[in-house]
Amino acid sequence: MAFDPLLLRPLFPILAQSAYDHPLTYLDNAATTQKPLPVLDAIQDYYRHFNANVHRGAHFLSDRATNRFEQARDTVARFINAPEQSHVIWTKGATEAINVVAYGLEHILEKGDEILITSLEHHANLVPWQQLAFRTGARLRIVPLTSNGEWEPEFSHYFTDRTRIFAATQVSNAIGASTPLKTMIDLAKQQGAFTLVDGAQAVAHYPVDVQALGCDFYVFSGHKMYGPTGIGVLYGKNHALEILMPYQTGGEMVRHVSYQATEFNVLPYRLEAGTPHIEGVIGLAAACDFLNAQDRLALLAWEQSLANHVYTRLHKAGGIEIYSPEKNTTLVSLSVPNIHILDINAYLDSQGVAVRAGSHCAHPLMAQLGVAGTLRASFACYNTMEEANRFCDVLLDAIDLLNDE
Amino acid sequence: MTDTIHLKAQLQACRSKEDTFKTLVTLSKTLPRLSAEEKIEDNKVKGCESAVWLIIEENHGLHHFKADSDAKLMRGVLVAILSLVEGKTLADIQQMDLKAELAELNLSSYLTSSRTNGVLAILEKIQVPKQ
Repeated sequence: MAFDPLLLRPLFPILAQSAYDHPLTYLDNAATTQKPLPVLDAIQDYYRHFNANVHRGAHFLSDRATNRFEQARDTVARFINAPEQSHVIWTKGATEAINVVAYGLEHILEKGDEILITSLEHHANLVPWQQLAFRTGARLRIVPLTSNGEWEPEFSHYFTDRTRIFAATQVSNAIGASTPLKTMIDLAKQQGAFTLVDGAQAVAHYPVDVQALGCDFYVFSGHKMYGPTGIGVLYGKNHALEILMPYQTGGEMVRHVSYQATEFNVLPYRLEAGTPHIEGVIGLAAACDFLNAQDRLALLAWEQSLANHVYTRLHKAGGIEIYSPEKNTTLVSLSVPNIHILDINAYLDSQGVAVRAGSHCAHPLMAQLGVAGTLRASFACYNTMEEANRFCDVLLDAIDLLNDE
Repeated sequence: MTDTIHLKAQLQACRSKEDTFKTLVTLSKTLPRLSAEEKIEDNKVKGCESAVWLIIEENHGLHHFKADSDAKLMRGVLVAILSLVEGKTLADIQQMDLKAELAELNLSSYLTSSRTNGVLAILEKIQVPKQ
């Protein structure tokens, strides 16, 4: 294997600690990744050397801060291959980005219009659309999975001339399956619908090219791709961003204000009310630089090999329901009949193994799988094969300890 | 009472998270399970990620408790909680600092307000049963 995760470990000092006298084994990366030193340094560098509000004061520090802030926009634009940096809007995260779109598009919807999502969506890419449907009289429709977890072979009929918005995740946070995104986006575009892709689970693993995807909007969070929390991105095509009604108003997003009227600023500022999360933006750009400096495909192959190894070992061990695909995923989502996932999670935790047990903010998907929740081990570039094996060993011990027979 | 003292000693002797885990698994086996008729929505404690049912009965001013959960560790925690309050008057129970008592039993990691456990919701239902 050409890629060695141990070379990256020194960049993540948080991982070099013990938890309850066991080596910390962090496998909750789909919830949030750890942050490499260059990201931590960039944030501290900002506060130590060029902290000032951006776009305002004409002074030394403000100019430096504004330059770095707008350079960061350029870095992120190139990271996802956006054609213009003004197509990158800063948000709190993927959730806020989706809300910006859901509120911004309210004025184009009429009663009977359709908003289409898939059954793999996180609540963040479901509830804003459901509430938008309630407000406008539009209908929320779902492209379903079949009972064996495959896409219906003939899903094209869900895309109709009433479909105004199609929103889908690139990769499921709960089970790690991917959506046939390109096909779905093309179908939506044929119907003249706006298309939004939730890339929250994709950006840390897959090189993203928004122009190749052809979507109108692409959203993601910084903290799931080695960047800081509280910063995310809404990418949009120019016409798509222009049509959005601002979801928040206030300072920064205006050009001229009187008591009678307000003239809004141009993109991207029109959609960024208030002082932005400057340190988050600086840190996110550092996270992009960190990923750009890696062989992205080698990282992806490594993460997938870890997930595949766990899948294969647990499949062989038997008695475990695995909901993730066998291949081409970076996480393993599972449950064990007659044993509560919280009990397994508690044992894993007692051994220093951090995973996620729960419904993964995807209640409808869990209902379809027929479980209250799953246990999810999700991998990042710094995870080792030893850690993947440790997860399997401790999980199998937990099952032994918790089995009544 | 002897049981409570024994249980306290068992939990207090735990030196690691793993010890506590194993002790709670052992304790869970001593909790009588509720019947399907008792495991109804009305008896459910809201706010727990695992399902928890709690039935409180009053007899001559004394409170008696029955509880169950679909998670084993939670059943162990329920054994510990109920041992503190079983057979007491509501006034006595309300005077207790249950959080502190559970912390003394090495169970403080179960007392966070995290959504993964609803022990605080259980304590609330025990101390303010009419809500």
